Amino acid sequence: MTLIGLSILTLGVLVLLIASLGLFVFRDALSRQHAATKAGTLGVVLIVAGTALVGGSWSWAWRALVIIMLALLAMPIASHVLARAALGRSPSNDTVLFEE
Amino acid sequence: MIIFLILIVLGSVVLGALRFVRGPSDADRIVAVDILFTAAIALCSLAALFTQRVLFLDIAIGCMLIGFVATLAWSRLVEMSRRENEEDAP
Repeated sequence: MTLIGLSILTLGVLVLLIASLGLFVFRDALSRQHAATKAGTLGVVLIVAGTALVGGSWSWAWRALVIIMLALLAMPIASHVLARAALGRSPSNDTVLFEE
Repeated sequence: MIIFLILIVLGSVVLGALRFVRGPSDADRIVAVDILFTAAIALCSLAALFTQRVLFLDIAIGCMLIGFVATLAWSRLVEMSRRENEEDAP
């Protein structure tokens, strides 16, 4: 159980690192939002699930369930509102999304 | 083991803070705030594992709610201010 939890935890941390790397790979605010929020949601869910598995008792598990449920409810809404805020700020609607 | 994971999350915090400082528009800064709150939740979970106290998971719940409301409020503000600017200069 601890081994599975630790591997899920490592996977989540790496996903979170990739999400914040996406802030520098992409060029305008809309694509940065796209990279950051979706991978951030997956990262949080994986990290908290791994924490519950490593912790290994019910007092960890139900708190982790609350966090996962709140993440799945709240972060898509935040992502949607962020996309609306970033929409008009993109310099152009060209198809080139990567810098270099 | 947990120490290495905390260091990786701290690297993501550094990236988010750099984007927060450098971000050319307001929307970039709000995306950076979102990433910083996500990293805060991750650090709370890792602190719970590091100290073996469940208390830090409650703090993670609070961090998540504060981050949600902060992202919502700031991005609504940016959107409304942009709309006002467009109305002023058509």
